[in-house]
Amino acid sequence: MNKPYRIVIVGSGLAGMAAADLLSRYGLHVLVADDNAHTGGQLLRKALYTEKGQGRFKTDWVKRHGFKLAERLKQSSIQILNGTQVLGIYPEHSILLETPDGRTSEHRADAIILATGAREKQIPFKGWSLPGVMATGAAQILMKSSGILPGRKTLIGGNSPLMLVLAAEILANRGHVQAVLDQSTIAGKLKSVAAQPSVIPKIIEAVAFFARLVAARVPYKQGLSIVEARGSNQLEEVVVARLDNTGSIIQGTGQIFPTDTLAVGYGFVPNIELSQQAGCAVSYDVDKGGWYVEVSNTMTTSVNNIYAVGEVNGIAGGGKSLVDGQIAAWDLLCKQGIVDLKTCKKQIQPLIRQRNRQLRYGRFLNRFCQLPPHSFASIPDGVTVCRCEEITMGDIRKQLSNGLATMNSIKRATRCGMGNCQARTCGPILSEIISALAEKPPTAIGCTSARAPVKAVSIDSLARMNSDNSDVGNTGNLV
Amino acid sequence: MADLRIASIARGKKISFSVNGKFYDAYEGEFLHAALLAAGYRMLRKTAKKNQPRGIFCGMGVCNDCLVTINGVSNQRACMTLVEDQMEIQLDE
Repeated sequence: MNKPYRIVIVGSGLAGMAAADLLSRYGLHVLVADDNAHTGGQLLRKALYTEKGQGRFKTDWVKRHGFKLAERLKQSSIQILNGTQVLGIYPEHSILLETPDGRTSEHRADAIILATGAREKQIPFKGWSLPGVMATGAAQILMKSSGILPGRKTLIGGNSPLMLVLAAEILANRGHVQAVLDQSTIAGKLKSVAAQPSVIPKIIEAVAFFARLVAARVPYKQGLSIVEARGSNQLEEVVVARLDNTGSIIQGTGQIFPTDTLAVGYGFVPNIELSQQAGCAVSYDVDKGGWYVEVSNTMTTSVNNIYAVGEVNGIAGGGKSLVDGQIAAWDLLCKQGIVDLKTCKKQIQPLIRQRNRQLRYGRFLNRFCQLPPHSFASIPDGVTVCRCEEITMGDIRKQLSNGLATMNSIKRATRCGMGNCQARTCGPILSEIISALAEKPPTAIGCTSARAPVKAVSIDSLARMNSDNSDVGNTGNLV
Repeated sequence: MADLRIASIARGKKISFSVNGKFYDAYEGEFLHAALLAAGYRMLRKTAKKNQPRGIFCGMGVCNDCLVTINGVSNQRACMTLVEDQMEIQLDE
Protein backbone atom coordinates (compact mmCIF):
# COMPACT_ATOMS: atom_id res chain seq x y z
CA MET A 1 0.00 0.00 0.00
CA ASN A 2 1.35 3.36 -0.98
CA LYS A 3 0.29 5.95 1.58
CA PRO A 4 0.84 9.57 0.53
CA TYR A 5 3.57 11.46 2.33
CA ARG A 6 1.98 13.63 5.00
CA ILE A 7 3.37 16.87 6.35
CA VAL A 8 1.90 18.63 9.34
CA ILE A 9 2.83 22.27 9.94
CA VAL A 10 2.14 23.71 13.39
CA GLY A 11 1.50 27.43 13.14
CA SER A 12 0.23 29.50 10.22
CA GLY A 13 2.36 32.57 10.77
CA LEU A 14 4.85 33.74 8.17
CA ALA A 15 7.22 30.77 8.63
CA GLY A 16 4.45 28.16 8.51
CA MET A 17 2.79 29.80 5.52
CA ALA A 18 6.05 30.09 3.58
CA ALA A 19 6.75 26.37 4.07
CA ALA A 20 3.17 25.31 3.29
CA ASP A 21 3.07 27.42 0.12
CA LEU A 22 6.25 25.97 -1.34
CA LEU A 23 5.44 22.35 -0.43
CA SER A 24 1.95 22.51 -1.87
CA ARG A 25 3.23 24.02 -5.11
CA TYR A 26 5.18 20.75 -5.54
CA GLY A 27 2.04 18.73 -4.89
CA LEU A 28 2.75 17.54 -1.36
CA HIS A 29 -0.08 16.99 1.11
CA VAL A 30 0.07 19.60 3.80
CA LEU A 31 -2.04 20.06 6.91
CA VAL A 32 -1.61 23.30 8.84
CA ALA A 33 -2.86 23.53 12.43
CA ASP A 34 -3.13 26.91 14.14
CA ASP A 35 -4.53 27.88 17.52
CA ASN A 36 -5.80 31.19 16.13
CA ALA A 37 -9.10 31.86 14.41
CA HIS A 38 -7.31 33.48 11.47
CA THR A 39 -4.38 32.42 9.33
CA GLY A 40 -1.32 34.68 9.31
CA GLY A 41 0.10 34.62 12.83
CA GLN A 42 0.74 37.54 15.13
CA LEU A 43 2.31 39.79 12.50
CA LEU A 44 -0.69 39.84 10.17
CA ARG A 45 -3.49 39.52 12.72
CA LYS A 46 -6.39 39.55 10.29
CA ALA A 47 -6.75 41.77 7.30
CA LEU A 48 -8.30 44.83 8.91
CA TYR A 49 -5.73 46.97 7.20
CA THR A 50 -5.60 45.33 3.80
CA GLU A 51 -8.86 46.84 2.60
CA LYS A 52 -9.56 50.50 2.03
CA GLY A 53 -10.83 52.50 4.97
CA GLN A 54 -10.01 49.76 7.44
CA GLY A 55 -8.07 51.55 10.12
CA ARG A 56 -4.56 52.87 9.92
CA PHE A 57 -1.75 50.45 10.56
CA LYS A 58 1.79 50.23 9.36
CA THR A 59 2.50 47.71 6.63
CA ASP A 60 5.91 46.83 5.28
CA TRP A 61 7.09 44.41 2.58
CA VAL A 62 7.12 41.49 5.02
CA LYS A 63 3.46 41.99 5.90
CA ARG A 64 2.42 42.66 2.32
CA HIS A 65 4.13 39.44 1.31
CA GLY A 66 2.44 37.68 4.23
CA PHE A 67 -1.02 38.79 3.11
CA LYS A 68 -0.27 37.51 -0.41
CA LEU A 69 0.78 34.16 1.06
CA ALA A 70 -2.36 33.94 3.20
CA GLU A 71 -4.50 34.62 0.15
CA ARG A 72 -2.66 31.99 -1.93
CA LEU A 73 -3.02 29.41 0.85
CA LYS A 74 -6.75 30.07 0.98
CA GLN A 75 -6.99 29.29 -2.76
CA SER A 76 -4.79 26.18 -2.52
CA SER A 77 -5.57 22.58 -1.60
CA ILE A 78 -3.78 22.96 1.72
CA GLN A 79 -5.95 21.99 4.65
CA ILE A 80 -5.78 24.69 7.32
CA LEU A 81 -7.26 23.94 10.72
CA ASN A 82 -7.83 27.22 12.56
CA GLY A 83 -8.75 27.28 16.22
CA THR A 84 -6.86 24.01 16.63
CA GLN A 85 -4.47 23.32 19.47
CA VAL A 86 -1.62 20.85 19.10
CA LEU A 87 -1.43 19.10 22.45
CA GLY A 88 1.54 16.84 21.87
CA ILE A 89 3.84 15.02 19.47
CA TYR A 90 4.61 11.37 20.19
CA PRO A 91 7.12 8.89 18.80
CA GLU A 92 6.56 7.86 15.16
CA HIS A 93 5.28 11.44 14.67
CA SER A 94 1.83 10.87 15.98
CA ILE A 95 0.23 14.26 16.68
CA LEU A 96 -2.55 14.96 19.15
CA LEU A 97 -4.88 17.79 18.07
CA GLU A 98 -7.85 19.50 19.65
CA THR A 99 -10.21 20.94 17.02
CA PRO A 100 -12.68 23.78 17.69
CA ASP A 101 -15.54 21.26 17.94
CA GLY A 102 -14.02 20.28 21.28
CA ARG A 103 -12.65 16.91 20.17
CA THR A 104 -9.17 15.54 20.32
CA SER A 105 -7.78 13.29 17.63
CA GLU A 106 -4.50 11.60 16.83
CA HIS A 107 -2.78 11.86 13.45
CA ARG A 108 0.22 10.38 11.78
CA ALA A 109 2.73 12.63 10.02
CA ASP A 110 5.82 11.70 8.04
CA ALA A 111 7.37 15.09 8.66
CA ILE A 112 6.51 17.92 11.02
CA ILE A 113 7.38 21.58 10.69
CA LEU A 114 7.12 23.49 13.96
CA ALA A 115 6.40 27.18 13.36
CA THR A 116 5.02 28.08 16.77
CA GLY A 117 6.26 31.65 16.87
CA ALA A 118 6.97 33.83 19.86
CA ARG A 119 5.31 35.64 22.72
CA GLU A 120 6.06 38.78 24.69
CA LYS A 121 8.46 38.88 27.57
CA GLN A 122 7.38 40.61 30.77
CA ILE A 123 8.83 41.61 34.12
CA PRO A 124 6.53 41.51 37.15
CA PHE A 125 5.70 44.61 39.22
CA LYS A 126 3.15 45.19 41.94
CA GLY A 127 -0.36 45.05 40.44
CA TRP A 128 0.69 43.73 37.01
CA SER A 129 -2.23 41.29 37.03
CA LEU A 130 -4.82 44.06 37.45
CA PRO A 131 -7.34 44.33 34.58
CA GLY A 132 -6.25 47.22 32.40
CA VAL A 133 -2.58 46.23 32.51
CA MET A 134 -1.82 44.38 29.31
CA ALA A 135 0.99 43.40 26.97
CA THR A 136 1.87 45.89 24.21
CA GLY A 137 0.98 43.13 21.73
CA ALA A 138 -2.43 42.68 23.35
CA ALA A 139 -3.16 46.37 22.82
CA GLN A 140 -2.11 46.10 19.15
CA ILE A 141 -4.20 42.97 18.64
CA LEU A 142 -7.32 44.67 20.06
CA MET A 143 -7.00 47.35 17.39
CA LYS A 144 -5.81 45.21 14.48
CA SER A 145 -8.08 42.21 14.89
CA SER A 146 -11.17 43.82 16.37
CA GLY A 147 -10.82 47.54 15.63
CA ILE A 148 -11.14 48.42 19.31
CA LEU A 149 -8.85 50.81 21.19
CA PRO A 150 -7.20 49.34 24.31
CA GLY A 151 -8.51 52.17 26.51
CA ARG A 152 -9.64 55.77 26.71
CA LYS A 153 -6.08 56.74 27.40
CA THR A 154 -3.14 54.40 27.25
CA LEU A 155 0.10 54.66 29.16
CA ILE A 156 2.90 52.70 27.47
CA GLY A 157 5.86 51.31 29.41
CA GLY A 158 8.67 48.75 29.30
CA ASN A 159 11.56 48.59 26.89
CA SER A 160 10.09 46.83 23.87
CA PRO A 161 10.49 48.12 20.32
CA LEU A 162 6.71 47.65 20.10
CA MET A 163 6.19 50.64 22.41
CA LEU A 164 6.72 53.23 19.69
CA VAL A 165 4.80 51.18 17.10
CA LEU A 166 1.85 50.87 19.47
CA ALA A 167 1.89 54.57 20.32
CA ALA A 168 1.89 55.48 16.62
CA GLU A 169 -0.96 53.07 15.89
CA ILE A 170 -3.13 54.37 18.72
CA LEU A 171 -2.57 57.95 17.55
CA ALA A 172 -3.23 57.09 13.90
CA ASN A 173 -6.55 55.53 14.92
CA ARG A 174 -7.55 58.58 16.94
CA GLY A 175 -6.89 57.15 20.35
CA HIS A 176 -5.13 58.89 23.23
CA VAL A 177 -1.61 58.04 24.37
CA GLN A 178 -0.79 59.42 27.78
CA ALA A 179 2.96 58.95 27.69
CA VAL A 180 5.64 56.51 26.56
CA LEU A 181 7.93 55.53 29.42
CA ASP A 182 11.08 53.73 28.34
CA GLN A 183 12.74 51.81 31.16
CA SER A 184 16.12 51.97 29.49
CA THR A 185 17.89 54.98 28.07
CA ILE A 186 18.84 55.48 24.43
CA ALA A 187 22.44 56.05 25.52
CA GLY A 188 22.40 52.76 27.43
CA LYS A 189 20.95 50.92 24.47
CA LEU A 190 23.51 52.26 22.05
CA LYS A 191 26.27 51.28 24.41
CA SER A 192 25.07 47.70 24.70
CA VAL A 193 24.50 47.28 21.00
CA ALA A 194 27.19 47.37 18.37
CA ALA A 195 25.34 49.28 15.66
CA GLN A 196 25.23 47.44 12.34
CA PRO A 197 24.17 48.41 8.84
CA SER A 198 21.31 45.88 8.97
CA VAL A 199 19.55 47.83 11.71
CA ILE A 200 19.71 51.27 10.10
CA PRO A 201 16.28 50.94 8.41
CA LYS A 202 14.78 50.03 11.80
CA ILE A 203 16.39 53.05 13.43
CA ILE A 204 14.97 55.27 10.68
CA GLU A 205 11.56 53.68 11.32
CA ALA A 206 11.89 54.38 15.05
CA VAL A 207 12.74 58.01 14.32
CA ALA A 208 9.59 58.28 12.18
CA PHE A 209 7.46 56.89 15.00
CA PHE A 210 9.18 59.22 17.40
CA ALA A 211 8.33 62.20 15.21
CA ARG A 212 4.65 61.24 15.44
CA LEU A 213 4.83 61.26 19.23
CA VAL A 214 6.36 64.71 19.17
CA ALA A 215 3.71 65.96 16.74
CA ALA A 216 0.94 64.66 19.02
CA ARG A 217 2.68 66.13 22.07
CA VAL A 218 2.94 62.73 23.76
CA PRO A 219 5.65 62.81 26.45
CA TYR A 220 8.49 60.31 25.93
CA LYS A 221 10.59 59.68 29.03
CA GLN A 222 13.64 57.52 29.54
CA GLY A 223 14.92 55.54 32.49
CA LEU A 224 11.53 55.24 34.16
CA SER A 225 10.36 51.88 35.56
CA ILE A 226 6.82 50.83 36.35
CA VAL A 227 6.69 50.51 40.15
CA GLU A 228 3.05 49.74 40.81
CA ALA A 229 -0.34 49.47 39.11
CA ARG A 230 -3.15 50.47 41.45
CA GLY A 231 -6.91 50.10 41.40
CA SER A 232 -9.66 48.15 43.13
CA ASN A 233 -10.99 45.81 40.45
CA GLN A 234 -9.34 47.51 37.52
CA LEU A 235 -6.47 49.86 36.80
CA GLU A 236 -6.88 53.41 38.09
CA GLU A 237 -3.33 54.73 38.38
CA VAL A 238 0.27 53.77 37.70
CA VAL A 239 3.27 54.68 39.86
CA VAL A 240 6.53 55.12 37.97
CA ALA A 241 9.99 56.14 39.13
CA ARG A 242 13.70 55.90 38.51
CA LEU A 243 15.06 52.91 40.40
CA ASP A 244 18.54 52.27 41.74
CA ASN A 245 20.29 48.88 41.43
CA THR A 246 18.50 47.54 44.50
CA GLY A 247 15.09 48.40 43.07
CA SER A 248 14.59 51.31 45.46
CA ILE A 249 12.96 54.48 44.19
CA ILE A 250 15.48 57.27 43.70
CA GLN A 251 14.06 60.06 45.81
CA GLY A 252 12.16 62.73 43.98
CA THR A 253 11.70 60.71 40.77
CA GLY A 254 8.32 59.13 41.58
CA GLN A 255 5.30 60.08 39.48
CA ILE A 256 1.67 58.97 39.40
CA PHE A 257 -0.25 58.62 36.13
CA PRO A 258 -4.04 58.24 36.43
CA THR A 259 -5.05 55.89 33.58
CA ASP A 260 -7.35 52.99 32.68
CA THR A 261 -4.83 51.21 30.47
CA LEU A 262 -1.15 50.37 30.79
CA ALA A 263 0.52 48.53 27.92
CA VAL A 264 3.87 46.97 28.81
CA GLY A 265 6.41 44.80 27.02
CA TYR A 266 10.03 43.78 27.36
CA GLY A 267 10.83 42.01 24.11
CA PHE A 268 10.05 38.50 22.93
CA VAL A 269 10.71 34.84 23.73
CA PRO A 270 10.37 31.82 21.41
CA ASN A 271 7.42 29.45 21.95
CA ILE A 272 9.52 26.32 22.43
CA GLU A 273 7.14 24.18 24.54
CA LEU A 274 5.81 21.89 21.80
CA SER A 275 9.30 21.38 20.34
CA GLN A 276 10.64 20.57 23.78
CA GLN A 277 7.83 18.09 24.40
CA ALA A 278 8.60 16.45 21.05
CA GLY A 279 12.17 15.94 22.24
CA CYS A 280 13.92 18.62 20.16
CA ALA A 281 17.14 19.93 21.72
CA VAL A 282 16.89 23.48 23.07
CA SER A 283 19.55 25.94 24.07
CA TYR A 284 19.91 29.43 25.57
CA ASP A 285 21.24 32.53 23.86
CA VAL A 286 20.50 36.14 24.79
CA ASP A 287 20.96 37.05 21.11
CA LYS A 288 18.09 34.71 20.18
CA GLY A 289 15.67 35.89 22.87
CA GLY A 290 16.47 33.26 25.51
CA TRP A 291 15.66 29.55 25.21
CA TYR A 292 15.28 28.53 21.56
CA VAL A 293 15.07 25.33 19.50
CA GLU A 294 18.40 24.28 17.99
CA VAL A 295 18.35 23.88 14.22
CA SER A 296 20.80 23.02 11.46
CA ASN A 297 21.43 25.14 8.36
CA THR A 298 18.42 23.41 6.79
CA MET A 299 16.11 23.96 9.80
CA THR A 300 16.18 20.32 10.98
CA THR A 301 15.98 19.79 14.75
CA SER A 302 17.65 17.04 16.77
CA VAL A 303 14.60 14.83 16.11
CA ASN A 304 14.41 13.05 12.78
CA ASN A 305 11.99 14.67 10.29
CA ILE A 306 11.02 17.47 12.63
CA TYR A 307 11.86 21.00 11.50
CA ALA A 308 11.64 24.22 13.51
CA VAL A 309 11.20 27.47 11.58
CA GLY A 310 10.70 31.15 12.38
CA GLU A 311 10.84 32.77 15.81
CA VAL A 312 10.91 29.39 17.61
CA ASN A 313 14.56 28.92 16.60
CA GLY A 314 15.56 32.49 17.49
CA ILE A 315 13.77 35.84 17.58
CA ALA A 316 14.63 37.93 14.53
CA GLY A 317 11.34 39.14 13.03
CA GLY A 318 9.12 38.22 10.12
CA GLY A 319 11.79 38.43 7.42
CA LYS A 320 13.67 35.51 8.92
CA SER A 321 10.43 33.55 9.34
CA LEU A 322 9.70 33.79 5.60
CA VAL A 323 13.21 32.58 4.81
CA ASP A 324 13.20 29.75 7.38
CA GLY A 325 9.95 28.31 6.06
CA GLN A 326 11.33 28.18 2.53
CA ILE A 327 14.61 26.55 3.61
CA ALA A 328 12.76 23.77 5.46
CA ALA A 329 10.48 23.21 2.49
CA TRP A 330 13.40 22.94 0.02
CA ASP A 331 15.16 20.48 2.31
CA LEU A 332 12.03 18.34 2.56
CA LEU A 333 11.49 18.46 -1.21
CA CYS A 334 15.08 17.33 -1.71
CA LYS A 335 14.80 14.47 0.80
CA GLN A 336 11.61 13.31 -0.89
CA GLY A 337 13.42 13.25 -4.23
CA ILE A 338 11.05 15.83 -5.70
CA VAL A 339 13.85 18.27 -6.44
CA ASP A 340 17.46 17.18 -6.96
CA LEU A 341 20.24 18.05 -4.56
CA LYS A 342 21.82 20.56 -6.95
CA THR A 343 18.60 22.57 -7.36
CA CYS A 344 17.97 22.39 -3.65
CA LYS A 345 21.44 23.75 -2.81
CA LYS A 346 21.06 26.50 -5.37
CA GLN A 347 17.79 27.55 -3.76
CA ILE A 348 18.92 27.26 -0.15
CA GLN A 349 22.29 29.03 -0.32
CA PRO A 350 21.02 32.57 -0.97
CA LEU A 351 18.32 32.01 1.65
CA ILE A 352 20.95 31.10 4.24
CA ARG A 353 22.83 34.32 3.44
CA GLN A 354 19.60 36.31 3.96
CA ARG A 355 19.00 34.42 7.19
CA ASN A 356 22.42 35.31 8.55
CA ARG A 357 21.71 38.98 7.93
CA GLN A 358 18.37 38.65 9.71
CA LEU A 359 19.99 36.88 12.65
CA ARG A 360 22.28 39.88 13.04
CA TYR A 361 19.20 42.10 13.18
CA GLY A 362 17.71 39.69 15.73
CA ARG A 363 20.81 40.02 17.86
CA PHE A 364 20.34 43.78 17.90
CA LEU A 365 16.63 43.47 18.69
CA ASN A 366 17.11 41.01 21.54
CA ARG A 367 19.99 42.91 23.13
CA PHE A 368 17.96 46.09 22.82
CA CYS A 369 15.37 44.56 25.17
CA GLN A 370 17.73 42.82 27.57
CA LEU A 371 17.20 43.94 31.16
CA PRO A 372 20.10 43.88 33.64
CA PRO A 373 20.05 41.06 36.27
CA HIS A 374 19.34 43.52 39.10
CA SER A 375 15.94 44.30 37.53
CA PHE A 376 14.94 40.72 38.35
CA ALA A 377 16.89 40.35 41.60
CA SER A 378 15.17 43.42 43.06
CA ILE A 379 11.53 42.39 42.49
CA PRO A 380 9.79 42.95 45.88
CA ASP A 381 8.65 39.88 47.88
CA GLY A 382 4.94 40.67 47.64
CA VAL A 383 4.86 40.74 43.82
CA THR A 384 3.14 37.84 42.03
CA VAL A 385 5.49 36.07 39.62
CA CYS A 386 3.35 33.11 38.51
CA ARG A 387 -0.02 34.62 37.61
CA CYS A 388 -1.81 31.27 37.24
CA GLU A 389 -0.78 29.71 40.55
CA GLU A 390 -0.36 33.09 42.28
CA ILE A 391 3.19 32.42 43.47
CA THR A 392 5.07 35.47 44.76
CA MET A 393 8.66 36.59 44.56
CA GLY A 394 8.83 35.91 48.33
CA ASP A 395 7.84 32.25 47.74
CA ILE A 396 10.67 31.92 45.23
CA ARG A 397 13.27 33.71 47.42
CA LYS A 398 12.39 31.35 50.27
CA GLN A 399 13.16 28.26 48.19
CA LEU A 400 16.36 29.83 46.85
CA SER A 401 17.48 30.44 50.43
CA ASN A 402 16.69 26.76 51.09
CA GLY A 403 19.36 25.97 48.54
CA LEU A 404 17.26 25.22 45.45
CA ALA A 405 18.61 26.84 42.29
CA THR A 406 17.22 25.08 39.22
CA MET A 407 14.06 25.77 37.23
CA ASN A 408 12.54 22.37 37.86
CA SER A 409 13.31 22.26 41.58
CA ILE A 410 11.83 25.72 42.20
CA LYS A 411 8.84 24.78 40.06
CA ARG A 412 8.22 21.61 42.09
CA ALA A 413 8.73 23.36 45.43
CA THR A 414 6.52 26.39 44.72
CA ARG A 415 4.18 25.35 41.84
CA CYS A 416 5.54 28.38 39.94
CA GLY A 417 4.81 27.58 36.29
CA MET A 418 2.42 24.70 36.94
CA GLY A 419 -0.83 26.51 36.17
CA ASN A 420 -2.99 26.92 33.08
CA CYS A 421 -0.43 28.70 30.95
CA GLN A 422 2.20 26.05 31.72
CA ALA A 423 4.94 28.55 32.55
CA ARG A 424 4.55 30.42 29.26
CA THR A 425 4.32 33.75 31.08
CA CYS A 426 6.43 33.19 34.21
CA GLY A 427 8.93 30.63 32.87
CA PRO A 428 11.26 33.09 31.12
CA ILE A 429 10.90 35.44 34.12
CA LEU A 430 11.72 32.70 36.64
CA SER A 431 14.79 31.79 34.62
CA GLU A 432 16.06 35.39 34.86
CA ILE A 433 15.19 35.62 38.56
CA ILE A 434 17.05 32.45 39.54
CA SER A 435 19.94 33.36 37.28
CA ALA A 436 20.23 36.79 38.89
CA LEU A 437 19.83 35.66 42.50
CA ALA A 438 21.93 32.48 42.26
CA GLU A 439 24.44 34.27 40.02
CA LYS A 440 24.48 31.40 37.56
CA PRO A 441 23.96 31.42 33.78
CA PRO A 442 20.48 30.27 32.59
CA THR A 443 22.04 27.13 31.09
CA ALA A 444 23.16 26.06 34.60
CA ILE A 445 19.61 26.52 35.92
CA GLY A 446 17.98 24.62 33.10
CA CYS A 447 14.69 25.05 31.33
CA THR A 448 11.37 23.83 32.76
CA SER A 449 10.37 20.54 31.17
CA ALA A 450 7.33 20.47 28.90
CA ARG A 451 4.94 17.53 28.88
CA ALA A 452 1.83 16.74 26.87
CA PRO A 453 -0.74 18.13 26.83
CA VAL A 454 1.32 21.30 26.28
CA LYS A 455 -1.87 23.40 26.07
CA ALA A 456 -4.79 23.46 28.49
CA VAL A 457 -7.43 20.97 27.36
CA SER A 458 -10.65 19.83 29.02
CA ILE A 459 -11.07 16.26 30.26
CA ASP A 460 -14.30 16.22 28.26
CA SER A 461 -12.37 16.94 25.11
CA LEU A 462 -9.83 14.18 25.82
CA ALA A 463 -12.64 11.76 26.66
CA ARG A 464 -14.21 12.40 23.25
CA MET A 465 -11.03 11.36 21.51
CA ASN A 466 -11.41 10.49 17.87
CA SER A 467 -9.72 7.11 17.40
CA ASP A 468 -9.88 7.20 13.61
CA ASN A 469 -6.57 8.78 12.83
CA SER A 470 -7.29 9.75 9.26
CA ASP A 471 -10.08 12.19 10.10
CA VAL A 472 -9.65 15.56 11.68
CA GLY A 473 -12.70 16.49 13.70
CA ASN A 474 -15.52 17.07 11.27
CA THR A 475 -13.44 18.91 8.72
CA GLY A 476 -13.02 15.97 6.40
CA ASN A 477 -10.23 13.66 5.37
CA LEU A 478 -6.63 14.57 5.81
CA VAL A 479 -5.64 13.14 2.44
CA MET B 1 -16.99 54.23 29.12
CA ALA B 2 -16.53 56.19 25.91
CA ASP B 3 -16.86 54.22 22.70
CA LEU B 4 -13.60 52.38 22.10
CA ARG B 5 -14.53 51.26 18.58
CA ILE B 6 -12.26 52.90 16.00
CA ALA B 7 -14.53 55.02 13.83
CA SER B 8 -12.63 54.57 10.55
CA ILE B 9 -13.04 50.78 10.53
CA ALA B 10 -15.91 49.28 8.56
CA ARG B 11 -17.56 46.65 10.75
CA GLY B 12 -19.32 43.37 10.12
CA LYS B 13 -22.98 42.70 10.79
CA LYS B 14 -24.36 44.11 14.04
CA ILE B 15 -25.07 41.33 16.51
CA SER B 16 -26.12 41.04 20.12
CA PHE B 17 -24.55 39.09 22.97
CA SER B 18 -25.24 38.95 26.69
CA VAL B 19 -23.05 39.32 29.75
CA ASN B 20 -24.55 38.02 32.99
CA GLY B 21 -27.99 38.46 31.41
CA LYS B 22 -27.47 42.03 30.11
CA PHE B 23 -27.46 42.52 26.34
CA TYR B 24 -24.82 44.44 24.35
CA ASP B 25 -24.16 45.17 20.70
CA ALA B 26 -21.12 43.79 18.96
CA TYR B 27 -20.08 43.27 15.36
CA GLU B 28 -19.26 40.09 13.50
CA GLY B 29 -15.52 39.58 13.24
CA GLU B 30 -14.73 41.05 16.65
CA PHE B 31 -13.03 38.86 19.20
CA LEU B 32 -14.93 38.28 22.41
CA HIS B 33 -12.35 39.93 24.69
CA ALA B 34 -12.50 43.07 22.54
CA ALA B 35 -16.31 43.07 22.45
CA LEU B 36 -16.33 42.73 26.26
CA LEU B 37 -13.86 45.60 26.59
CA ALA B 38 -16.00 47.77 24.30
CA ALA B 39 -19.04 46.87 26.44
CA GLY B 40 -17.16 48.20 29.48
CA TYR B 41 -15.99 44.92 31.05
CA ARG B 42 -12.35 45.06 32.06
CA MET B 43 -12.50 42.54 34.88
CA LEU B 44 -13.39 39.14 33.43
CA ARG B 45 -12.93 36.85 36.43
CA LYS B 46 -11.47 36.48 39.91
CA THR B 47 -8.76 33.97 40.73
CA ALA B 48 -9.60 30.83 42.68
CA LYS B 49 -6.78 31.08 45.21
CA LYS B 50 -6.52 34.74 46.16
CA ASN B 51 -9.74 36.14 44.67
CA GLN B 52 -7.81 38.61 42.53
CA PRO B 53 -9.39 40.40 39.53
CA ARG B 54 -8.15 39.46 36.05
CA GLY B 55 -8.76 40.76 32.56
CA ILE B 56 -7.04 40.90 29.19
CA PHE B 57 -3.29 40.41 29.47
CA CYS B 58 -1.47 38.73 26.56
CA GLY B 59 -4.39 38.96 24.13
CA MET B 60 -2.98 36.07 22.09
CA GLY B 61 -4.04 32.87 23.83
CA VAL B 62 -0.91 32.39 25.93
CA CYS B 63 -1.62 33.58 29.48
CA ASN B 64 -5.11 32.15 30.18
CA ASP B 65 -6.07 35.24 32.18
CA CYS B 66 -9.18 36.03 30.12
CA LEU B 67 -10.99 32.77 30.88
CA VAL B 68 -14.78 33.21 30.78
CA THR B 69 -17.89 31.01 30.61
CA ILE B 70 -19.30 30.93 27.07
CA ASN B 71 -22.75 29.40 26.53
CA GLY B 72 -22.36 27.46 29.75
CA VAL B 73 -18.88 26.12 28.99
CA SER B 74 -16.40 27.41 31.56
CA ASN B 75 -12.72 28.35 31.21
CA GLN B 76 -12.78 29.51 27.58
CA ARG B 77 -10.18 32.00 26.35
CA ALA B 78 -12.13 35.12 25.37
CA CYS B 79 -9.21 36.40 23.27
CA MET B 80 -9.26 33.31 21.03
CA THR B 81 -13.01 33.29 20.48
CA LEU B 82 -14.93 35.30 17.90
CA VAL B 83 -18.07 36.89 19.33
CA GLU B 84 -21.28 35.39 17.94
CA ASP B 85 -24.89 36.50 17.82
CA GLN B 86 -26.82 35.51 20.96
CA MET B 87 -23.66 34.32 22.72
CA GLU B 88 -24.19 34.10 26.48
CA ILE B 89 -21.25 35.12 28.62
CA GLN B 90 -20.97 34.59 32.34
CA LEU B 91 -18.37 36.65 34.24
CA ASP B 92 -17.40 36.68 37.92
CA GLU B 93 -18.81 39.77 39.66
